Formats: sequence, C-alpha cells, structure tokens
Amino acid sequence: MKVTLNWLKQYVDFNWTPEELSERLTMLGLEVEGIEKRAGEFEGIVVAQVLTRDKHPNADKLSVCRVNDGRGERQIVCGAQNFQAGDKVPLILPGAALPPKPGEAQPFVIKVGKIRSVESHGMMCSHEELGIDPETIGHRKEDGLLLLKADAVVGQPFAEYLGRSGADVVYDLEITPNRPDLNSVIGIAREISALTGNPLRLPEPALPSGNGGPKVDEVVAVRMEATDVCPRYTARVLKGVRVGPSPDWLKSRLEQVGLRSINNVVDVTNFVMLETGQPLHAFDYHLVGKSESGVPTVVVRRAVSGEGFTTLDGTVRKLDEAMLLIADPQKGIALAGVMGGQNTEIQTETQDVLLESAWFHPTQIRRTSKALGLRTDASYRFERGADIGVAEFASRRAAALILELAGGVVVEGVVDAYPSPAAPKEVTLRHRRVKEVLGIDLQPEVIECHLQQLGLKLTSRKPRPVDAEGEPEPVTFQVPSYRVDLKREVDLIEEVARLHGVDRIPSTTPRRAMGEHPYDSVYDVLMEVRRLMAGLGLSEAQGQTLVNDAAARLVTPHVVALANPLSSDMNVLRPSLLPGLLDTLRHNLSRRSNDVQLFELGRVFTATEGGPKEGWRLAIALTGARSPAFWSGADREARCDASDLKGLVEEFMESLGVRGVSYVRRGEPGSLFIESAVVALGGKLELGQLGQVQPSLARRYDLRDPVFLAELNLDLLLAKRNPARSFKPLPAFPASARDLAMVVPEATTHDAVLAVVRQAKPSNLESVDLFDVFRGRHVLEGHKSMAYTFTYRAADRTLKDEEVNAAHQRVVEAFKATLKATVRE
Amino acid sequence: MSLLNELEAVKAGALVAFGAATDLPGLDQAKGAVLGGDGRFTVLLKQLGSLPKEERPAVGKALNAVKVEIEAALGARRAELELKAALPTEPTDFTLPGRRRAVGRLHPLTEVTDDIVRAFRKLGFAVADGPEIEDEYHCFDALNTPADHPARDSQDTFFLDAASRPLLRTHTSSVQIRVMEKMPPPIRIVVPGRVFRRDNADATHNPTFHQIEGLYVDRGVTVGDLKGTVEAVFREVLGNDVKLRFRPHYFSYTEPSLEIDFTNALVRKLGKEWLEIAGCGMVHPQVFENVGYDPEVWSGWAFGFGIERIAMLRYGITDIRLFYENDVRFLRQF
Repeated sequence: MKVTLNWLKQYVDFNWTPEELSERLTMLGLEVEGIEKRAGEFEGIVVAQVLTRDKHPNADKLSVCRVNDGRGERQIVCGAQNFQAGDKVPLILPGAALPPKPGEAQPFVIKVGKIRSVESHGMMCSHEELGIDPETIGHRKEDGLLLLKADAVVGQPFAEYLGRSGADVVYDLEITPNRPDLNSVIGIAREISALTGNPLRLPEPALPSGNGGPKVDEVVAVRMEATDVCPRYTARVLKGVRVGPSPDWLKSRLEQVGLRSINNVVDVTNFVMLETGQPLHAFDYHLVGKSESGVPTVVVRRAVSGEGFTTLDGTVRKLDEAMLLIADPQKGIALAGVMGGQNTEIQTETQDVLLESAWFHPTQIRRTSKALGLRTDASYRFERGADIGVAEFASRRAAALILELAGGVVVEGVVDAYPSPAAPKEVTLRHRRVKEVLGIDLQPEVIECHLQQLGLKLTSRKPRPVDAEGEPEPVTFQVPSYRVDLKREVDLIEEVARLHGVDRIPSTTPRRAMGEHPYDSVYDVLMEVRRLMAGLGLSEAQGQTLVNDAAARLVTPHVVALANPLSSDMNVLRPSLLPGLLDTLRHNLSRRSNDVQLFELGRVFTATEGGPKEGWRLAIALTGARSPAFWSGADREARCDASDLKGLVEEFMESLGVRGVSYVRRGEPGSLFIESAVVALGGKLELGQLGQVQPSLARRYDLRDPVFLAELNLDLLLAKRNPARSFKPLPAFPASARDLAMVVPEATTHDAVLAVVRQAKPSNLESVDLFDVFRGRHVLEGHKSMAYTFTYRAADRTLKDEEVNAAHQRVVEAFKATLKATVRE
Repeated sequence: MSLLNELEAVKAGALVAFGAATDLPGLDQAKGAVLGGDGRFTVLLKQLGSLPKEERPAVGKALNAVKVEIEAALGARRAELELKAALPTEPTDFTLPGRRRAVGRLHPLTEVTDDIVRAFRKLGFAVADGPEIEDEYHCFDALNTPADHPARDSQDTFFLDAASRPLLRTHTSSVQIRVMEKMPPPIRIVVPGRVFRRDNADATHNPTFHQIEGLYVDRGVTVGDLKGTVEAVFREVLGNDVKLRFRPHYFSYTEPSLEIDFTNALVRKLGKEWLEIAGCGMVHPQVFENVGYDPEVWSGWAFGFGIERIAMLRYGITDIRLFYENDVRFLRQF
C-alpha cells in the first residue's frame, strides 16, 4: 500500500518529519518498506504578500519591498510595476531554481544578492518566469508579476495554490493480512489519530437532493440472489456526466501511488478505493439491461457453469458456478469484486453512470481470483476483508467527487440492498489480562483510552464498577466494522501493546527451567556423527531435499513425488542422499575441484504402503586424490579406492559404538554401483551400502576418477549403537607373534579366513592382523597369497614357545583342511 | 724389537686407523684389524704366555693400559661417526609445505544452527523436531491459519502426490503443535529444521531452507519474558553489541505478534539502520485450544527465524544457493 505524507495530512494533524512518520508507522506495525521523496513542481516558490513597496534609492525603475513569505519578512528588490502593497504574488526563495525553459541547460538558481547595492532575498515572479499561461489557471495575463487571488494563503507552496502536486513523500507500507482496514489512506490516518490523540477528519460528502427528478429506485433495481456471499450491494446513478481527463491533483495523486489515470469517473472510483479501502465499480448505465418492468436491473448471482465472460482487460473468462457474477437480466456485467466487464465499461461517450459499492465475502473472492489467476486492487481488498459498514459512504463520496469533476446530476437516493445488516461485534476485556499477557501495569483508564482512540466503543456503564477484590469489572467494547481482525480479548490486548509501544515493555530475565523432548539426545548424536566424520577428514555437505526423479530411481523405485513441483529437476523428495552427492561432485568437478571427500547427514523419504516414510541417513562421497597434495613420495598420486571408503566406514562404526558389522559383496552390478557391498549387522539387518559408481553413470555426471559412495541408515545405527565403554587392564605379560603366509584360491575372502580361525579356537589367541595380499610371481594363477600376524598372549603368565606353537598349529591345520591353503611356514 | 716397542707401534697404528675410518663399517674393519682374532693387538696378547715369567707382570700391565686406551679411542671415534651417520644427508627446508592430513569442516549451516541451539540450551531448552512431511492441520489449521486464509499466500506450499494431500512443512512451527499435542505444559523447546517453500531459487531463495524456533509455555509468561529471552539468545548468537527492536506485526498463530529487527556494527557497515531478523509473539489462545491447553491457565511465546539469514550475515555470504552447491572451496572456509 502506497500513501503520501500530504495525503495523510488531509485527514489528521501531526507534526512529524517524514523520517519520524516512517519510524512511528513501523513501530505501530505498518512496516515502511520504502520512502521516496518526490520533488514537486515550483519547488521553493511560495505564496507571498507584499507589505510595503518603496522606491529603490539607486534606481528609478526598481522598487524595494518588504514581503511576508508566511514565515517572516524578507526584503526583495523588484523591477515590475504592476503591483502594490497588499498584493499576493509568487515568491521564489534563495536556493530554489526557476522552472527550466525549453533549451535551457542549467536551471536558474536564485541567490541572495545585491541589486544596485540593496540586498534582495528572493524574487517575485512573473508568469513567464514561472513558465505558465495565466489564463489556463484563471488569472489575468499582464506584464509584470503574476498577481494571485486575494484569498490565496500566504506561505502556501505555490504548487498547492495551483492545485498541482507539491513536494511530497511517498511511503510504501507492508500491510499485514489481518489488517485490511489499513489498505486505505483513512485507515492509516486513523492509526495516526489514535497515536497522537488528534481527531480524524473524514470527508463529509453531501449530495444535492430534492431536485425534482426521478428517485433512484425508479431508475435502477438490485436483485440479491446470493446474500450468503454478497450481503450488501449499493447502487447510485449519475446522469449527464462528461467523461474526460482528470484534473492535475487527481492524476498526480494516483500516479504518486502507482495507479494510471484513465478518466475522471474511473479515477474517482480508484481514488475513493484508496481513500476508504472500499473498491467501487462504475458501469455505463445505458449498457445495463432492463428487466421486464423496463427498469435497468442489477442481478447479484452465481455464474452458470461454463458461462463465458469478457473482463475489462479483454480476456474471455470461463466461469463456474462457484463464482459470483454481477449481471443484468440478460448477461453478466462484472466479475464480482474482481474486475468489471468490457460490455458495460465507462467510455468517452458515456453520459450516465451506475455506481456500485458492495461487500463480497473474502473466501468467495479469493477462490475466484485464484481460479482465474486474476488479481486486482479490488480482489486484493475484498479477499482480505473489506468494511461492510463503509459501502454507502464510499459510494456517496465518489458520487460527490464525480459531480465536482465531471459535472452531471445525481439521481436522488441510493439503492442499499442490505437485507440483514450485521450486528456490531462485541469483545469483552478483563483488565488484569493485559498485565498477564504483556507484563506491564496499565491503569484501566489508559487501557480503555487506547482502545477508544482506535474507534472501539465502550458499551459498559461508567463510572467503572469494581468487584469484591477491588479489580475493575470487565468491560465490553463494540468493534467498528472496519476492524475485522478484532475477535477476542487477546486481540484487544495486542492493540493496547501497539499503542503503548512494544519497545516500552521491559524485558525480563529468562526464567531457568529444564525443557525436555525425546529428540534432544538424538540431536546430540547427530552432532557427534558430524564431528566424527569431520575428524575423519570429510567436509560436510547439505544437499537439496528436492531432486530429479530419474536420479532418485538410481537408488530405489519407492520414490515420493511432488504434486506441484517447480521444475522437473526437483520433482521428487530424495529417497537417498546419494543422488544429491552426485550432483555435488559434478558441481565441484565442473569447477576443477577434482578431489572431493564429503559427507552429508540428512533426511530422506521413501514411499511405503503406509505412506511416505522419513529417515535419517549418513552418506559419504569420495573421488580424486586420497591425500592432500604433497611434493614427494611414491604414493602422492594415489587416488581414493574402495579401501579408503571401507576404512572410513569401519573407523566410523567403531567410534560410534556399532559392533558386529559385516560387509557382504553383491553378486551383480546395479544401476548405481558397478561393485558394491551391503553393510549388515549380525549378518541380517541392512545398515546401508557402499561401493564404486558405475563408470557409465559417472561419465553422465562428468566425473573422471573412480567415484565411491556409501550410505548408512542412521536411524538403525542409533538404535543399535552401544556407546558404553569399559576399561580393560593393560596386558601385564608379553605376547608371542607368529607370521603365516598362505596361498589360497582367489575366491577366499578375509572373512572366510577369520571364520576358520574362530572355528579352530586356538588358545590364547589375542588378535589376527592381515599384513599382505599378493598376486603374481610365484603365486599360482587364480590364487593369491595372504599373510597374517597371529598374536598370542595370556593374561596371567608368559606363554611358553611350545604352547604357542601348539595353538598356532591348530590354525595352520585348519587352513589347510578348510581353505585348501598352501601354507608357507 | 721388544714386545713393548711393538705394543707402542700397534697402539699408534690403531689410533691412526680409527681416525682414518670415515664411517661405522670402516671403523669396525679397523677395530677387527687391531682387536679381532688375528688382530695385531690380539697377536701381541697371545705372545704374553711365551714371555719369561718375571717379565709377564710388567708387559701384562702395559698391554692392559694400551687396551683401555685403544678401546677409549674406539668408543670416542664411534660416537663421532654415529653422530655423523644420524645427520640427514640434506638439511631439512622447514619452509616447504608439510605433508598435510585433512580435517573435515562442518557445514556453515550446521555451525550456525549449533551455536543457536547452544544459546537456547543454556536457558534450559531441549531440542525437538517433527516430520518434514506434514499435513495441513499441523502446518496451517492448528496454527490458526485455516484454508483460504490470506496468510497462506506468503507460504507457497509443496504438496505430495497423494490422496491425503500431505505437504512439506513451510515452517518449523508445525512442531509446536506436534509437541503440545503429545506433552503437557510446561514446554520449553528449540526446534531447528528444514522447511520448504515453493520459491524459485535465486540469490535469496532456495526451495529448501532452514529455520529454528523456540517455544515456551508456562504459567504467567508475558511479552516481557519473550523479549528477555530473545535478547539473551541473540546476544549469544550475534554478539554483545547487538541491539534489538520489536515492532508489531502479524502471524496467525501468535497474538500479539512482533517482528524483530537488530542492529550492530555489521548492520551499520551495510549502510542500514535495522535489519529484520525474526518473528515472534505470544501463542494465540486459539492455538492452545487446538492442542487442548487452557489459555486461561497457560500462556507462552514462540519465536523463529531463518538460519541461512544468520549465516549469511555472520560470514558475509550474499547468495543463498552457495549453501546447497557444496563447492569444496566454499565448505573449506568454515
């Protein structure tokens, strides 16, 4: 909503600077989003009165005058002859510039100077100097000064005297949706009035009556067929109107707040809408069809499904029966509360005008506007809730302005179809609740005064009764029809807070207390997971929740789709963090960051029979160099491989306290991985997966080096972790180690080796560590050599060699028997 | 030549040979030539038995003295050569870049979220969360924003393709309802989380973003309490020089509703007087009624704000999309 400083001042007095007004409005809840200072025409030129006129001591043709500029007296040297003391003239003050003449490069700036050694503080102006034709403003054309009318107000800006736009300040205000009354200049002025205590000056439009012509109900009828959504409809008729351009003041008012001037009649309806918040519509009276009785008739009805209607903007709209139409007996003439129809538009030749001022139900207008994708200043106001009480006033105000600006006569009376007028709302306030909610002590009188200044009427009797405890009895207020937002006690308390000033409510120290929620500990674990991953050298990524369907299906077919996506890039919820990480890798590689090691922790969504299911996941992505760049060493070029990924997952699992994890290789490549393993707990519960991305897929993402991804189900991990730690005494006796190398068939896994060891149960075995895997020279084709260190230790003594050898021999025998291993002892 | 004369020659030769050895193997070789089985000193020592009995004590004594001298010289030379061997062949250039181990960084949004959570926890708040897929009731209706309410305009919503019209929560306020439905008052929670609005991505919008929300419900909670807590939290998060301004606003689920502006040196550097940072208010009695709390007994406040906005201010980031691109050059800066 845009409003100007001068416009507001028409309705209420205040003496704030433009900046103060901005601050006050903001602190009242009308946030000022922009302030624009508009220089007006004739800046620095005011109406002044000549007090004395004396001859210049040093020049015959000049005079020295004392002039009142409205603030004080000035001495002016003047060369004109056509004036005398008492005349009112335009005076340009020092520092201001005359309006530029055509072809003039630099404006002529007036300075304090001496003319024949007498100081002159400004200049009285002729019409030529001002660049105006006196006859167009109703003044005599004569040589010398432009003489102003006797009733001109001394000190008034000259632009204002002419009725042109003076300097002004345009405010762009954010009006919250609960305050439709503030979508009007009067509404905003009312707030200022409440804050300052200065009275609100409303226009008092009076229309001529008793002119002997027909009464309004003889020339127009209104048929209400949908009072549930249009409970009030008023109509007025003006005849003999001359449609033409609007006067300058109206044009410039509208243009200042961003509206285009169309013609005087339409401009008046827009002006009154801005002024009162009530949208109006003007029809060409003769284009409104008549009923059988011969009277032009407005029918407020629901549209017929499929009914076509051409709105003012020339678009043919297809309506349905949920939409409200203003019609005549034959056809639709306006889309109620949204936009008029082309068939009854005001045109240059229009002479008689039918003026509509009605109230439409917010939901009704909102649905229509949404369904048609058509938003107008009118629909905006109706859907937020217009003031049902102001409809007749706004119509009267518009009619009076049309008479003033476009001439014609008004048909006496108004059709005000308002079959069941709304009863005023009443809200009761308990004074103590003000303190309970706001935390401040206000006198009952102060509370009531604030509310009354906003236009609420106290219905309770005075003086105020007091209950047994000396508390004032609750008071009931009648809420004016424009305050649709005031529904219950707390709404009144908010008004008190606004007028008292929220900044004046003292802050109180936070009260200590323990909150609780089951998620509290989950949050801690999620942070612990993040810190673990960062400690392992991975940086954290945060991807989009919305991803592309095809990418999502790389991971699972159980994808949750959006009904109203913004684009096909983001049309499903991520079922996994991996598609997003692939996007992230692509982004980095396209920017020549080839070495990427990231993790992400976030929620994913999968479709299940019972609806979409949310879950926490942790994912890892590795590609490029294994270590930060270094300038020496054989392995400095090393790229990340599957073992890097596996190592990260192992270290993470152990740190988190998840034990008994196995990694089961998948037999077949899938759409995502060329080679992968399922991460499982107890051999059954799937915790996640890890693997190398299909090279063909990697190429589609412009990834060159091998890419390794892992994803773990954090919900399961958190449920299965055991973070408890207990201390084991450090060993007191030395260990004995036995190295063992054996050649086994390629298919023999490390897990299989460990399984054999477990089965052999060698006594006092402390640990088994793999230290070499070798293929090639001296190793049979299709086989590999695996080398392990076995560490034996007893808790209570130093083991004898024979004991260790005997135990170790069990392992060797088991390998030979179970794994078909050739053991090199 | 007498044995004693020979002994002097052996000693002198040994000392020269030890001095001449340039490395430890060389020294060992020199040692072998003197003290080894066939070494020159050993040979002399073996001759001791063949000497006349009366000469033996004096010669034996001399032999011993020489042996001690030779071994001392050997030891000294060995220490010299060991030190020489331990020295690197080339001096280390300590200005060369070292062999780095990468430390991962947390995402700036995580860092900021955790800072805010910590500030709330100091005041006794527990972290809470709820589902990101919500229903209209918890996201809107229960928060006093019924269908066709104009306040829904500013929160354009993603709906899921399902009959029950589930949606992606547009704010963390839905968690207020979830928590109050399950738990009796008093309530003291802080809710960080992802939220979604159907906005095209640009420098200040991303369809996914993060909010954090505080909710406090107890007996006798006032606007003064709200202001006090908000000030405490923002002093923690934005620094002690932060100034806050509360001004009336509108949210359907609070009454009165306030918006919070802040200012500090950073804001002034941006050439602004105030920057909008958060919204807050006293929980609307209708919301309490919706979750079965008696608004005559319980009162409370809620406040919430965008995490990206705080992170952008703190780090001077001007494009919200950077948070979701995960450019490693970006991530490594935090």
